[in-house]
Amino acid sequence: MDGGTALAKVLASGERSFKKEIEKLLLSDGDTFHGEGILAITKALLQSGISYVGGYPGAPMSHLIDVLADASEEILQPMGIHYEQSASEAGAASLLSASVTYPIRGAVTWKSVVGSNVASDALSNLGSSGVVGGSLIILGDDYGEGSSIMQERTYTFAMKSSIPLIDPRYNMTRMVELTEQAFELSEACSMPIFLNMRIRACHLTGTFRTKDNKVALYNANNPVPEQHYDLEKIVLPPATYRHEKAKFDERLPAARRFAQENSINEFFPGDGSRYGIITQGGTYSVVLRALRRLGMADAFGNTEMPILCLNLVYPLIPEEIETFITHKDQILVVEEGNPNFIESQIAEIAQRGKIECVIHGKDLLPMAGEYVSNVVREGVASFLTEVLPDGQQSVAGLAEAAIENEKVVAQSYIVEPMPPRPPSFCTGCPERPIMAALKLLMKERGKFHISMDIGCNLFGSLPPFNVGNTVMGYGLSLASSGAIGPNLDQPNVAIMGDGGFWHNGLTTGVINARWNEYDSVLIILDNGYAAATGQHLLPSSGITPKGLSSLVTIENALRGVGVKWIKYVDSYSLQDAKNVIADALDARDQGLRVVISNNECMLARQRRERPAKAEALNTGKTVIQEIFGVDEEVCTGDHSCMRLNGCPSLTLKESSDPFKETPVAHVNDGCVACGHCGEVAHAAQLCPSFYKAEAIRNPGVLRTIFSKINRSLLTAVGA
Amino acid sequence: MVADRPICILLGALGGQGGGVLADWLVEAAHHSGYPAQATSTPGVAQRTGTTTYYFELFPEKNPPGEPIFTLFPGTGDLDIIAALEPTEAGRSLERGYITETTTVITGTERVYSTAEKMAAGDGTINDKPMMESLEKASKKLVRLDIDSLAGDTASRINSVMFGSIIGSGILPLDDEDGRHAIRNKGVSVSSNLEGYDIGLETVRAGGSASQPDAERPYKPVPASFEKTISAYPEQLRDLLGHGFAKLLDYQDEAYASLYLERVNTVVDIDTHPSRKLTKEIIKRLAIWMSFEDIIRVAQLKTRPGRLDRIRQELGVDVHTPLKLTDYFKPGRDEFIGILPPSLSWVVPKWNRLDRGKGLALHMPTGTIFGFTLLKFMASLRFLRRSSSQYREEQNHILNWLGAVKIAAESDYDLACRTARLSIWARGYGNVRQNGQSILNNIFKDWQRKLATDMTKVSIEVDQSLLLAHSNPDAPEIIH
Repeated sequence: MDGGTALAKVLASGERSFKKEIEKLLLSDGDTFHGEGILAITKALLQSGISYVGGYPGAPMSHLIDVLADASEEILQPMGIHYEQSASEAGAASLLSASVTYPIRGAVTWKSVVGSNVASDALSNLGSSGVVGGSLIILGDDYGEGSSIMQERTYTFAMKSSIPLIDPRYNMTRMVELTEQAFELSEACSMPIFLNMRIRACHLTGTFRTKDNKVALYNANNPVPEQHYDLEKIVLPPATYRHEKAKFDERLPAARRFAQENSINEFFPGDGSRYGIITQGGTYSVVLRALRRLGMADAFGNTEMPILCLNLVYPLIPEEIETFITHKDQILVVEEGNPNFIESQIAEIAQRGKIECVIHGKDLLPMAGEYVSNVVREGVASFLTEVLPDGQQSVAGLAEAAIENEKVVAQSYIVEPMPPRPPSFCTGCPERPIMAALKLLMKERGKFHISMDIGCNLFGSLPPFNVGNTVMGYGLSLASSGAIGPNLDQPNVAIMGDGGFWHNGLTTGVINARWNEYDSVLIILDNGYAAATGQHLLPSSGITPKGLSSLVTIENALRGVGVKWIKYVDSYSLQDAKNVIADALDARDQGLRVVISNNECMLARQRRERPAKAEALNTGKTVIQEIFGVDEEVCTGDHSCMRLNGCPSLTLKESSDPFKETPVAHVNDGCVACGHCGEVAHAAQLCPSFYKAEAIRNPGVLRTIFSKINRSLLTAVGA
Repeated sequence: MVADRPICILLGALGGQGGGVLADWLVEAAHHSGYPAQATSTPGVAQRTGTTTYYFELFPEKNPPGEPIFTLFPGTGDLDIIAALEPTEAGRSLERGYITETTTVITGTERVYSTAEKMAAGDGTINDKPMMESLEKASKKLVRLDIDSLAGDTASRINSVMFGSIIGSGILPLDDEDGRHAIRNKGVSVSSNLEGYDIGLETVRAGGSASQPDAERPYKPVPASFEKTISAYPEQLRDLLGHGFAKLLDYQDEAYASLYLERVNTVVDIDTHPSRKLTKEIIKRLAIWMSFEDIIRVAQLKTRPGRLDRIRQELGVDVHTPLKLTDYFKPGRDEFIGILPPSLSWVVPKWNRLDRGKGLALHMPTGTIFGFTLLKFMASLRFLRRSSSQYREEQNHILNWLGAVKIAAESDYDLACRTARLSIWARGYGNVRQNGQSILNNIFKDWQRKLATDMTKVSIEVDQSLLLAHSNPDAPEIIH
């Protein structure tokens, strides 16, 4: 069973280890915490007396999972906190079931909005039955720059399931305070609570004063005395009718009451003028920055502008809104995300209360996109020139014009646009050769449609490969190919990673394909981890999140549901991989054919092998140091290799021959000698400029003698 | 007086360059010295080699009268430093409006080419000179960090050199020791990072690395016995011509190099333009084309004296270290027939595996005496070259092209120069080469008549063909 304790330790360490930062989670009353937002939130959970915690990784929540995994043995277990890395977001949401009838607190986390989609079945049931123990759902909104997903709002989930949504002001003390209050809010209104964190907030650094961690009354070390049965909590009519009524008659009003009594939302009166701004907590600091740039605030947030900062963005509290907008002529609602739910509700409140106030929002700010500094400043400036008596000539109006002018002047020097730089497969990635094989196959037999999945594999859709046509969601590639093959006279062709396979691919994809007798080819890129999120463990990684060995394999799962055509490829043997995929494509009468490439994620491999190699080198063991190279005199500079490779290490340099007009291929020292360059040169019959060089360090005696003889012979023939 | 704004720094990097560690150092240095500060980042999938940014704000007052408002996003006109680990990331900041006249730009000068730049069949790289000039004009100050020349082969330390440069710029109220403390405290490769940090401090205080002139690409000298021949040509052509002559001497022999000169002469005679632009084009392009690659040439290049030692250098090992070298060759029927006289082409067997696009996949052990002498033998076959079928074919194409250039020169000098540039199509191996040759055949078919009837049309055709030759042939928007 243990076999690889050392290996398990390395595997479990993941891409980013928080071991060093775990100490911060043990700080006690009155200590000062200094660190990242996501760690602060984790500390807040421990201060709130939780009994369980779980989640599914995905930016920007991955680090919360990493922190918890690292803290499991040292902190969580002694406190009796059950920790699990759920198999999907639906699994994580289902964990909250423990708080439906028991007075125990728990928290789960995932990336929104895609994770919330997966979790929504559990969320709807949870929203109906309600909870008695404080339940927190920490969501990472990945909304703008660097986001890998579509831009949709978590707000819709809050509205449809009547789950209160906290969008905290990004001040670490306040974030921690609101996280703690969220549990109380949950218990006060009998509903789980969403805590929405934007990606940058998860990674912001700051300071707050800590409290002691709190061990829950009931936990794994001190269990609840007996199970509890309550028919009212079962989501079946007629209870569901009563749940629905309770949501609007009891739970949401209780949430509003709690929020009001505890000043969850913050009112900054300013100079009490006849205009003001209502902002989400998460956009508060951007608004304040805009006001400072426009001469309306100082560096510490003192401003003449009245501001209502909504840390609880759902439900709104009509009394608070009414108080704020009464006696105001115009207000601006700064609401990131679309549609403009908050703005519409405020307009409704004004209309019902017969309050004469112009509600601005998406008329002055863009409907879509991330609310970054410039965007908000421009919107606030338009608002100010509208409400200030001297308009464009006001301090704000002139300041905005000056900023705009500065930008125009600077940008006037731009000569040509910068090349785009999307993410791509890392150096030596084992998934790259599969994309090269597919591109070569398409050159031979014409293009065919490939259904892609979520994860690194999706980069195959980008240049230089351009081999993926559609993507529908995590683990859904095979299912999404169902109607494509028959309508295009080709087999269904789908690619998914091992992450996608376990998340949804086995049930929704493979079983569906078997059941409906698809003429399908599924290529599974099993690199050992959920690699795109930062090397997270999967059921087939070989070990469990707690470090024990796990015997779940993809092949067993496939065999178990009756898949017979399964072939493995070593993706670095490009020609073989290409042949096997071709066989799979051609075996059209054999149902589902699965090709598994099971080379390990190169980042993970290097993380393990590099230090081991350095160690071996230092201790005098024989080590082979390898690299690929290009003989630049042989390279004709037409870059065919680049168009089939895309490796970050295969790059260009100026030829040293002054007659050559195009740059030549060049392998930089990031090369990990995966061999793909040579394989591509062979498979596509490219130029003979590539070579592989292996230096044998600390050679044995025989090697040294042989090498010496070889060398003198070579010298004799003029090498 | 109380400061009225935080100092703002945007870090632009590519995933894997160490931008995250750099941001951590800044936070640690600020925390250590007691200044309020905040950093944030957008890792996500961008960390996989894509563009990624880190943002840092520091309030330059140790005990400010209130809690400073920090924000998560950079804003136009509010940035004191743009620190880019790669120059186009600085360029991107300019595009996004983050560089203005109050911004100091510190940028690594070494390019990391994007996939888009690499995919073009010609030179698809952006020209960094004008880009650097635009950064210089748009910003308060541009500091270049030429990491290669500063830190030798420790390019992985670019983040520590950048950290030193940020601290050394004096824009933050932090001193040298604060930075050193941060590096020690973070504990990542402390000694090499401290070294990089010190280099950064020094470099920024010296105003950054000097703007690099274009690298010299020296011309090969002509052997002494031919100096007289070359000196008969106008001064402005001698270096070029010498290089071309030496190249062909190396490629074949004196007779072949002289054939090159004869062909050049036919253009020198008709080129009356003072710039000699056409002659220069021909000198370069004819030399490249006449030294076309065949098995013999590849074997010659792969057995160049000193090659094995050069490769050892790349690996950073001494000459005594055992070296295993594998060259990837995949000759097919075309290549074998190519080095034989046409009358002997029958000796190459008609195996399917030698068909075009396939070939014999060879892993040549060039580092062993066996592999090396085998290649050396192949290289020695160059006495056969001038009777080989590929030789004949290439010479026909060359004469065809040269003829077309000369005809064009009779009526339009500029068109002739552009026609000369069409030789770019004579490139690559196998299918790539065949495809290029047939493109040229199409253009030069009925060349004289086409020129006489509609020169504008021909001119457009030439321009389009050049554009196509340099672009990315796999780009979806290009229709062949």
